[in-house]
Amino acid sequence: MIHLDTALSQQFVPADLPTAVRSLLGKPLRRAPALAQLAVLGALACLPAERRGRPTALLWQSTSGPRLETLELLDEVCQGSGEPLPFTFLATVPASAAVQLHPFVPGLRTASTLPLESEQAANWHLLLSIAANWLNEGRYEQVLCAHLDHWSDSLNGHWLALSATTSGSAPATLRAATGEAAIQLADTPDFPVAVARWLAEAPGQPLRLHSPAAPGLAVEFART
Amino acid sequence: MRRPVYLGASGLVCARGHTPAVVSTALRAGECSSSWRLHGNRRFPWFALPLDETDWLERAAWAVRQVGESLGPLASATPLFVASSSFQVGLCETRPPPYELPVANASFSRQLATWLRLDEIPPYSFSNACISGFSAIDAARSLIAAGQIDEAVVLGCELANASTLAGFAALELLSPTACRPFDRDRDGLVLGEAVAAIRLSATPTPWRLAAVRTGIDAWSITGPDPDGSPIAELLGECLHEAGLQASDIDLIKLQAAGSPGTDLAEANALRQIFTTGTPPLLSLKSAFGHTLGASGVAELAALLACLDDRQIPATAGFVTPDPQLALQPTTAGRQQTVRHALLNLIGFGGGLGCLIVAHER
Repeated sequence: MIHLDTALSQQFVPADLPTAVRSLLGKPLRRAPALAQLAVLGALACLPAERRGRPTALLWQSTSGPRLETLELLDEVCQGSGEPLPFTFLATVPASAAVQLHPFVPGLRTASTLPLESEQAANWHLLLSIAANWLNEGRYEQVLCAHLDHWSDSLNGHWLALSATTSGSAPATLRAATGEAAIQLADTPDFPVAVARWLAEAPGQPLRLHSPAAPGLAVEFART
Repeated sequence: MRRPVYLGASGLVCARGHTPAVVSTALRAGECSSSWRLHGNRRFPWFALPLDETDWLERAAWAVRQVGESLGPLASATPLFVASSSFQVGLCETRPPPYELPVANASFSRQLATWLRLDEIPPYSFSNACISGFSAIDAARSLIAAGQIDEAVVLGCELANASTLAGFAALELLSPTACRPFDRDRDGLVLGEAVAAIRLSATPTPWRLAAVRTGIDAWSITGPDPDGSPIAELLGECLHEAGLQASDIDLIKLQAAGSPGTDLAEANALRQIFTTGTPPLLSLKSAFGHTLGASGVAELAALLACLDDRQIPATAGFVTPDPQLALQPTTAGRQQTVRHALLNLIGFGGGLGCLIVAHER
């Protein structure tokens, strides 16, 4: 059985991000790109300290990707001296967020970045399907699924934390979509907002995430 | 439900040719010539696609369509998994400033899907630097194994751009002369272009995907732990998943990009796992470059083409053994049937990848 442990969303004004990180860690994350800082803030909010050493996978998607950092790199390479500062280039490598996160989540075993091809849709159905498969196989004990965006005026992080073993307080379970009646939701970046809202209501119908393009990957949450 | 996943037809366009079979022949012949790419007042060796066309988009379209032809007929609703570290950055560079990027950072994947005629459903994209290809294969494999899809195409795409070259140059990771995998005198990697794709399916083929694992080496963003222990751990997990012992592996396709530190870490890892000796070690990066996000799929397609020909090619660029590594790659081509081959990737940005293929008798 796959347990949903946490559904949470975070929003920051870019100027406030360093303060949020410092207040959480007691120190800044020097030279860490914004998406990496957002990953640290979200992952630590999802995982209580006693779970951070457990075998963990991170699957995160992004509409923006390192957009602002890439534009800065393009300016430096194509209009500037041609030789970018090393950290300007490193900031354009989204996969490096895992290295920044690992000291705080030492159980992190793998991480995958899934950039999105559309600004309207998200791939939560893919993330949750892969996460459920990995947990069912026993490959990891917990999988963090996230959508992280860094825009010029906002930073958004939406998270769903799944695990194979419940801590006793998991509010819902994840399963392949069944035939029973369910609340249908579209696959959008802020899907965890809807999940959190559904969790806050009295138990009722399951919540189904259905992507018309991938019917075999339809999943649903059921209240425990 | 967990069913075996098989590797089917593949396509590959890289510096060594425009189909896997042509690339295999070129590797057997020891071809490893490269061109040059200027960066400011420096120049670096560079493995370009074998095209006369200079327009970025036209080159991309030709290469992707060529790869699509090699894959054979496909239903337009076949799920497409795209692996790239740069997507359309090279195209953006060709346009006048101020530079613009699409709002969705992998929107280029839609164009790739259209060229492949796999545009009935939206593609999935993976950007995990050098291990992107194995991440995409891992995801597709997971869904097929679970019975959620029956077939997938994984496409690796890495095309010329100045930004990546400049970034690697700024970090002093590039060789000014040539790629020398595991060589005592190695001094950096050589970048290249590639477009490659492979079909994954639940339908049996001669090659089964026995295991694939990705991992993290958090030693540094730019290089692995020199002692190789995170790499060794992942190799061990991959062997365990495949149900194999180290002695069952007949061939290792190395990461071995010619980087001083990364080659050392890889060698140290291999010695921890292959304690009684290593099978033949092969690097392909000296033949067609480090193709970054495409490298996982490109090197898999090239390797399977060689193995289908019962050939293990020599590793180009290797001359002088490095006593610190105490391992050396193939120095001469040989005919050999390979039952199990292990492919290793060590990514920029801390990613690790390992994949094992098994020939089904």
